[in-house]
Amino acid sequence: MGASFEEKSVWIQLVSLVLGLGAYFAVAGRMMAAGVTALPAYTVLFLVSVALMVAVLVAGHVAAAIASKPEGRDERDRLIGWRAESNSSWLLAVGVFAAITGMLFSLSTVWIAHMLLVSLFASEMLGYVLRLLYYRRGMGGA
Amino acid sequence: MAVPKVVIENQIRVLRLAEGDMTQQELADQIGVSRQTVNAIEGGKYSPSLEAAFQIARVFGKPVEEVFRWVEKR
Repeated sequence: MGASFEEKSVWIQLVSLVLGLGAYFAVAGRMMAAGVTALPAYTVLFLVSVALMVAVLVAGHVAAAIASKPEGRDERDRLIGWRAESNSSWLLAVGVFAAITGMLFSLSTVWIAHMLLVSLFASEMLGYVLRLLYYRRGMGGA
Repeated sequence: MAVPKVVIENQIRVLRLAEGDMTQQELADQIGVSRQTVNAIEGGKYSPSLEAAFQIARVFGKPVEEVFRWVEKR
């Protein structure tokens, strides 16, 4: 079964996230290991990674739309989106609680910011992977 | 007490073929979903909403229980 435009869109979002934030964490991880603790030092890097993500998203969606006409989201796409979000948002909540705990122990702002970013990244990535699984394996009991 | 596994089976493929080889895309266009969703419903990978089930039955001019069947498997 060929993938629908919505499924292709999920693949594009996953690739964009992995490339954009993956590149950010690869560089930011080295900076943190080297002892860079000033948050502004990470800002430019973050903006570049966001620009990279947007570029991949736009190019990917344009290519997918040229390859096949977008049909728009239907009830299955919406249900898959809701279910994936409901099964992945706990990761973001874990990150938020970890960040709050870090604040209580006066952890550096850089670590708290990255704790939140990592949990957002992990939660989004799990959400996309779950969507792709639901598209491929189905949701017979839905 | 063991709860029996419930499967919703359907006759969509048979009905499509009976309607002069109606394609999945043609059915999808009539009920407002993607062809992939029709494919998933037909293959038992997705249970449609009540509204979509009634729309499918309406396309074939059949009552919904002739298109979809509730089957308990033990």
